[in-house]
Amino acid sequence: MARMKFLCDVERCIDCNGCVVACKEGNQVPVGINRRRVVTINAGRPGEKSISVACMHCSDAPCIAVCPVNAIYQREDGIVLVNKDICIGCGYCFMACPFGAPQFPKGDTFGARGAMDKCTFCAGGPAKDFSEKERRLYGQNRIAEGKPPLCAAMCATKALLAGDGDVIADIYRKRVFRRGSGANAWGWERAYKGR
Amino acid sequence: MKQKTLSMTMLVIVSLFLLAGTRLFAVEQLLRGFGAETLTQTFSQISQVITGDWQRLGLEFTRLQGKIFWKLYLAAMTAVPVLFLLHYLVFGPKTFSHEGKKIAYYASLVRLFHWLAAISFTLLAVTGLMVIFGKYLGGGHLIMGARLVHIPSAVVFTVSAAVLFLCWLKDMLPTGCDLEWFLILGGYLSRKKKPVPAGKFNAGQKIWFWLATIGGLVMAYSGYYLFAFNADVNVLRGWAIVHNFLGVAIVTFFLIHLYMSVFVVKGSLKSMVTGFKAEDEVAIMHNRYYQRLEK
Repeated sequence: MARMKFLCDVERCIDCNGCVVACKEGNQVPVGINRRRVVTINAGRPGEKSISVACMHCSDAPCIAVCPVNAIYQREDGIVLVNKDICIGCGYCFMACPFGAPQFPKGDTFGARGAMDKCTFCAGGPAKDFSEKERRLYGQNRIAEGKPPLCAAMCATKALLAGDGDVIADIYRKRVFRRGSGANAWGWERAYKGR
Repeated sequence: MKQKTLSMTMLVIVSLFLLAGTRLFAVEQLLRGFGAETLTQTFSQISQVITGDWQRLGLEFTRLQGKIFWKLYLAAMTAVPVLFLLHYLVFGPKTFSHEGKKIAYYASLVRLFHWLAAISFTLLAVTGLMVIFGKYLGGGHLIMGARLVHIPSAVVFTVSAAVLFLCWLKDMLPTGCDLEWFLILGGYLSRKKKPVPAGKFNAGQKIWFWLATIGGLVMAYSGYYLFAFNADVNVLRGWAIVHNFLGVAIVTFFLIHLYMSVFVVKGSLKSMVTGFKAEDEVAIMHNRYYQRLEK
């Protein structure tokens, strides 16, 4: 069985935030919630690099370990999902997550947090596939349609890769070997122009 | 003259070295700008930004919340009642005739706020335990509702605990006879009715008082952060740990308080309703206070 993963190539990411917008718009995520964000280091200085971050769909995820109601679960293909009908919005997953992935809408009662929302790898949720409830609570279910997640699908520089971990790691490795810049900038090719 | 030429030459050489040094540094900087930095360096910087402070209390919080807290609460909720049952069977309750003179013990204001605190605390304990054992109750609306009841209950409890704190503070300060009380554990480990060294409140009641008021304040303060989430993630973890550990202690002492007032000292519950205690009960259970009244 494939093991779904995201991989962001920092040599390609140009901080366009297209993935963030595509995710938010395509899944109709409420205001104040971002399932994905772009982090930039050394902005405006030499060595500027950007990376797109969302839920990492961890193996042995810390959020699953701390959830007091077992609302978070992992599919067989490694995608970590939350059941919003079970989640009580306690926020423990936010404290356990190293990547700040869990997001919370403001609830109606006493302004307490509502059920947690996070990246679904565009795989919907536990509700019936393509049902109105699934669309409303979790957004699109592109995995069931055989499509990659929105963010990776629309990435203009193809920096963000999504899919079976082994396959995308292989794609990335080949890219790094072919690359004439960055870590591979200096070598025989550059010195003798292929002679 | 010769010495001067020598020093000039030295100065020129040193300046040349310095110049070369700064030039080389600039070249190195230039190279770095064109991606001579390794990916390892880049990723160590990126993870500083994304997960930088994660490990500070993240590991402790994740382990405690995942594996320890619910077991502590389970232990408190099972072991304490079993110990009480054994105590009840071995030593039995303290019964007093409740006839004869009555002594006014609790003013009406105190009783009102005691019961406000009692109701709100019971709600706090029950809903808090529902959240901790949420996975066995299925989560969802029931547990989310428990979480929502937890919030206004905390407000009511904080106010009534503050009033009780002011009302009882003078009588709850530690005194010399508290040590004696501890040495015989309040006379609860014997069937005999010997006068117990205690003022208006015994040492056990004092512990519960301080735990419920000062501990309650800490619970309210930490609980506010867990509700509002308006602090750094590491601060939130710290408060979550404090809230859960202190919760075990408070729930344990609440069970003790419940057992003592409902089962052990017969008539104790009634005195918090009517405000009066029987003279023989006060003479035995609050001997020092009784002696002061007699004078």
